[in-house]
Amino acid sequence: MSEAASTVLIVEDDAVIRRLVSEALRNEGFGVEAAEDAAEMDAILVRTRPDLVILDVMLPGEDGLSICRRLHAHERFPILMLSAKSDEIDRVVGLETGADDYLVKPFGPRELIARVRAMLRRGPRVHSPLGRRFSVGSLTVDLDARQVIDAQSAPVALTSAEFDLFACFIQRPRRVLTRDQIGKWTRGRIPDPLDRSIDMIVSRLRRKLDRSSKDANLISTVRNGGYLLTAHVTPV
Amino acid sequence: MRLSSAVRVCLIIVLSVTIVWIGTVALFYLSSASAIRNNRPLPAQVAALVSLLEQASATQRPLILRAVTSQSMAARLEPGNHIGVTPKLQRVPRLTARAVDQYLSVLGGRPNSVSIRREGNARGGLGFTFAAPADLEIRVLLSTNETLVVDALSYPVANFFGVPVGFVAGLTGAVLGLIALFALQREIAFNRLQVRISHLVRGRIAMIGGISHDVRTFLTRLRLRVDRIPDEQERDRAVADIADMIRLLDDALLASRAGSGELNEELIDFAQIVSAEVDDRRAVGKPVDLASTAPLNSTILGDRLALRRVIANLIDNALFYGKAAHLSIEADSEFVTLHVDDEGPGIPPDQREQILEPFVRLEDSRNRRTGGAGLGLAVARSLVEAHGGKISITDAPLSKGARLTVQLPLFVAR
Repeated sequence: MSEAASTVLIVEDDAVIRRLVSEALRNEGFGVEAAEDAAEMDAILVRTRPDLVILDVMLPGEDGLSICRRLHAHERFPILMLSAKSDEIDRVVGLETGADDYLVKPFGPRELIARVRAMLRRGPRVHSPLGRRFSVGSLTVDLDARQVIDAQSAPVALTSAEFDLFACFIQRPRRVLTRDQIGKWTRGRIPDPLDRSIDMIVSRLRRKLDRSSKDANLISTVRNGGYLLTAHVTPV
Repeated sequence: MRLSSAVRVCLIIVLSVTIVWIGTVALFYLSSASAIRNNRPLPAQVAALVSLLEQASATQRPLILRAVTSQSMAARLEPGNHIGVTPKLQRVPRLTARAVDQYLSVLGGRPNSVSIRREGNARGGLGFTFAAPADLEIRVLLSTNETLVVDALSYPVANFFGVPVGFVAGLTGAVLGLIALFALQREIAFNRLQVRISHLVRGRIAMIGGISHDVRTFLTRLRLRVDRIPDEQERDRAVADIADMIRLLDDALLASRAGSGELNEELIDFAQIVSAEVDDRRAVGKPVDLASTAPLNSTILGDRLALRRVIANLIDNALFYGKAAHLSIEADSEFVTLHVDDEGPGIPPDQREQILEPFVRLEDSRNRRTGGAGLGLAVARSLVEAHGGKISITDAPLSKGARLTVQLPLFVAR
């Protein structure tokens, strides 16, 4: 596919940035489609196939991260995320969204075009659904099959609540999670301050993991009532 | 938050127990007061005793006296007239005397007196007889010219400074309850204050975050337009200005998050982010080097962005004021330490503390050539301190320049 024929779809809510980026891309010979939000983007995707999508993280309605996950699951074009917050980068390129590259605002046109060219050169992504199998220390965890397997290929029996909690840690490895955050992510609500059930599940999970994994202390307690998965998580 | 809710629960328990206690004491007093009133037919008893003694023979009298003597009553006969005076100001003797008079009037009336016994449960003087049943002494002159002395003993009540223990307990309970109520109310007020402050702080962070986002949008437009400036030098300056503005915004946002404990906490290999920052600058030809060290454990718990900003500020400061940055990392069992040495004129000891304050620059030796509000080191310090670390300034050992040292506590798994 020749570069000149490549079409780039930009999804960005700020009209001026949208116009300036579109102009910069057109000047370089790209075909450009522009959308203000997810609905407009979907309308464009019905009638045309872009070779690359530039997606702003913060959009009205469905946000960029959610759009990115959705596109990643069904489409093969590469996705370049635009973020206005430097602390969003971790989430943008994290395990969940599937973005191929990102740019932090403000960026210059040359920077943008260089990234776009580099991504187009790599071509369409080999379609691989986001990996949901991870290696955690000596354990292997399959989030879809809800299965934990130890180094001797023996399954580790976890209750549903324990697995949900473990999955919550795996999706946010090496990061301190407060009781409130864990409650919000595993049960959709912030637990009562006197509710110790999360601590109890953590301690049961920890006991089971310590028994079947040689890395002692997979889950560590941090002062001020937080927990943290100390192992590195890698997709397998 | 957890402690205060525990305190609140304790207070509520104390308060409710106290209320139950007061209620029980009150109930006891109400019921026993009516029981005393009903079960003490003292005047009728006395009248009957008078009538019986007057009719009985001399041999029967001691038996009668013995028969009526019990825990709550003692009767004896004294020869001659020993009638006392019923005190006018004491309510219980007066009422009892009136009742005794009524009953005796059936027998044609007898001279009598009712007084509170001096010994025993006698505390009538203060008028506390409603609370403390007093022992009464009833004297009736018989027709045989003998005086019948009846000691009506109230049930023994342990007392405390002249009032029954139950009363003291109730009073103490009430006072404690009031104190508990007051403390509870203050605790609630304090909690509300905490909630308000945290709302305020979050609101401020959200506002700075919102401003930062909007300013970034404007700066992105500006940055995209700047490329149309034909003069290359002007264009580069404009790009640098935009970068400085973003940096200032990020600093403000980070510092306000650090100041209110809103930083992320994740496990970070400190040596790795130091070498990444060094590599970034070496790639554009800046005189930065990192003394190679043996692999060391530099895992700390902290905010990646904040720590990168600390390292970046120290390196850029050293480059700007001290021409070059020489970095080294060491670690012991508790701390990881980063030294950043420069080749500048150094910082005089008396200005070292001052230079870590916001908006302070050493103007005499370092003139203001480009942007920078003097926030870099202040932001670095507030971020390092938010991570439980220390930042200090000394002389560089190898050059005349300054050495900035950052010490951060290592993560210990528990």
